Amino acid sequence: MALKALDIYKLLPKKNCKECGDPTCLTFAMKLAGGKADVDLCPYLDDQAKAVLGATTRPPIRRVRIGVGERSFEIGEEFVLYRHEKTFFHQPGILFEVSDTQSPDEITSITKRVKDESFTRVGTDLMFSGIAVRNRSNATDSFAAAVGIVENVADLPLVLISANTAALSAALVHCGTYRPLIHAATKGNFKEMCALAKQHGCPLVIKAHQLDELAQLAKDCSAEGVQDFVMDLSPASLYEFIASSTGIRQLAITRTAPDLGYPVYLDATAGGMQDAWIALGIVKYASVIVTAPLSRASAKAALTLRQNVYTDPQKPIQMNPGLYRVGTPGKDAPVLMTVNFSLTFFTLEGYLESARIPCFMLIVDTEGLSVLTAVAAGKLNETLVLDAIRRFDVENEVSHKKLIIPGYAAPLSGRIEEATGWKVMVGPRDAAEIGDFLNEEWKR
Amino acid sequence: MGFDLRFGWTGPIGGVTLGATRSEGGTRRVSYRIGGGSTLPFLDSNSSFSSPLIAFEICDNPVFWPPIVRNYCGDLVNNVEDWAKTADSTYGADMIRLYLTSTRQRNFSDIPAVGKAVEAVLSATSLPLIIEGSNEPKIDSEVFQRCGEVAQGERLLLGTAEANRYRSIAAAALAYNHSLIAQSPIDVNLAKQLNILLREIGVLRDHIVIDPYTGTLGYGFEYSYSAMERIRFSALKGDTDLAMPMICSPADTLTIKEVREAESAVQDEMAATWEFYTGLAAAVAGAEIICVRHPETVGKLRLAFTSMKNGTGSAQVR
Ligand code: B12
Ligand code: SF4
Repeated sequence: MALKALDIYKLLPKKNCKECGDPTCLTFAMKLAGGKADVDLCPYLDDQAKAVLGATTRPPIRRVRIGVGERSFEIGEEFVLYRHEKTFFHQPGILFEVSDTQSPDEITSITKRVKDESFTRVGTDLMFSGIAVRNRSNATDSFAAAVGIVENVADLPLVLISANTAALSAALVHCGTYRPLIHAATKGNFKEMCALAKQHGCPLVIKAHQLDELAQLAKDCSAEGVQDFVMDLSPASLYEFIASSTGIRQLAITRTAPDLGYPVYLDATAGGMQDAWIALGIVKYASVIVTAPLSRASAKAALTLRQNVYTDPQKPIQMNPGLYRVGTPGKDAPVLMTVNFSLTFFTLEGYLESARIPCFMLIVDTEGLSVLTAVAAGKLNETLVLDAIRRFDVENEVSHKKLIIPGYAAPLSGRIEEATGWKVMVGPRDAAEIGDFLNEEWKR
Repeated sequence: MGFDLRFGWTGPIGGVTLGATRSEGGTRRVSYRIGGGSTLPFLDSNSSFSSPLIAFEICDNPVFWPPIVRNYCGDLVNNVEDWAKTADSTYGADMIRLYLTSTRQRNFSDIPAVGKAVEAVLSATSLPLIIEGSNEPKIDSEVFQRCGEVAQGERLLLGTAEANRYRSIAAAALAYNHSLIAQSPIDVNLAKQLNILLREIGVLRDHIVIDPYTGTLGYGFEYSYSAMERIRFSALKGDTDLAMPMICSPADTLTIKEVREAESAVQDEMAATWEFYTGLAAAVAGAEIICVRHPETVGKLRLAFTSMKNGTGSAQVR
């Protein structure tokens, strides 16, 4: 149970010395209770008090790392139910499933796909996170062999799914030092599973169908010496998933049930509704999502939703303002002005690249707002444009004084001309038409 | 040991009725009562709770429609009646949303044609309708008036009121007892402000559906998602000016780069998948009407909503 501010206060030195940065011990206690301060800020706390407080003031959801090296990923350490309250920090790993009943070629090609496939959006490479190997055969050898194949192809984070501890043990010979996630400890087998997880230092999925059983299992497994858990509620319907996952998040962040303070695991392979499971997993707090390999369409939509939901709502992804080159533009190349919202920049840049006309992009600081939004909010104006032309020395980069502005910024064209002395050409609204525009209007 | 999940909500979402059956004074075969939720979407313990409605969008001048839908639906797009019928019986929509795109021509003045289009769809399908009037302030008054009049008694959902353009539509809704869509650009305070404006000129709360504006997936959806969550949150915390059901219309979805540039073999799948991810996430954020334009999205959403209903498994969280 979470400690109340008054309980915490009783454990503090009551010096009111302000060294923690708070005016009194009591206000410090209130912050601790809300998870908004660190016990170490008070230099006078004795070890015993620290031990008691540490447990209740650690992140409400434990951070767990899966895999090692470049592709490893961290989950957990989340603090809010709604992304707008702060942000969501650790996006869920989405892993493609292979089975030890598949041929080595199939396993190899799925693994290669996860290793190599990436989809670039807004300047970021979006990729799937790893491979889940399922012991469908229930045999020990073939499971170990399948894991061996995956390991040979790529160093990807793994989930090892088996109820057979002997099979897991054999597989862990191949990958035990790479922190695979082991699936799953249950009421019936947790002792053996914990022994394996401990021996290899791996995170462990704990699985039960009720929240209170899960909390008990977390306690039992902790007693066995394992700390890094991911929780699987094996929901029977999408409804059950939303209800239990929301319940876990709420109970954990309010510290009502610290034993549920672990990331959530979701098996999206069930029931022919992969897209639905994945979409819900992303928005409703799943941290590890296992799915059959996705079609191109589903892959793009899933990765995009994950990117959207896990961007910080307080700061849009921005570019540094400046003069950017597309190709190797000469002194007579066109200059296109746009905003510093990354999505806008990369959208426009993509079309300019495919138009194959070397040019300059002049990025104005609109605090990360898109063209239309910036125009509507008054964050794009002639002063900013003039400032950018000067700051980035555009007059010396090109031998003309013509500036192409976005179609949506047309209402500003007169004022920009006046303030800068440059001739303004209003481009199309849709960047897809930029190639045609340049060919017709610029090259003439 | 059980866990007690409490959020401390104080107010429910208000209800809005869409469509009217014969006994209710209209000619629809069903009417819907949306809203009424008292906690986060899909968590209501009452298992009779209805799933979000799926509205299929059509228009009376397909020049303004995404090419991918024109290709998929073929000749249907040239005939609102057949298109509406197919959306009802074949695609399986819960509602039809008719966009009067014909009014978007320069100097449009054929108001009787507007009335005819609405009547045609009313007789082609007996589902409740959403009618999207003009885009042009100069003809708003006449267009909305005509739509309202020919559908009197049918409890339409009329679209779309905005902060600087709400009087004509409100007048038509008030005169003929229809509900209306109130759209504001992705901001909880603007949504509230518009609702207050509407209330001040006499529109009742139970005649308003909030449209917080849906940026499509990858193009601003994260903002819309959070705006919807905030609206729902404020409503549950007791703000009655925001306690209305919401509608999600990711209208730009089928013209984004990922869909437009998909290879033709997977273009339909891309379109339906994109709409599906957007619509499903919006439903979880609180939208109770999900509008789609690709026929294949309807069935995908339906299947998911069925599994998202309480009572499809043993509930664990109260
Ligand atoms: C997401 C969004 C927001 C986000 C901000 C996102 C951001 N970082 O900018 C938030 C929620 C914060 C927001 C706020 C506001 N928004 Co807003 N928002 C949107 C939304 C849904 C998408 C914007 C987007 O990401 N577009 C994608 C990018 C890539 O588009 P883009 O920058 O315009 O670039 C395209 C073109 O302009 C062109 N292009 C770009 N550069 C160049 C350069 C050249 C040379 C050329 C030729 C072409 C070109 O290429 C791109 C692709 O075609 C739009 C609706 C829409 N469909 O646009 C509304 C929209 C822009 N917002 C609007 C409004 C009114 C506002 C607010 C003023 C209202 C409010 N909520 O308070 C505020 C103002 C901002 C502030 N001060 O806080 C209105 C604008 C109305 C108008 N026509 O003026 C819109 C259109 C919504 C609506 N229909 O009402 N918004
Ligand atoms: S530093 Fe410790 S003793 Fe001093 S005011 Fe803060 S909590 Fe109290």
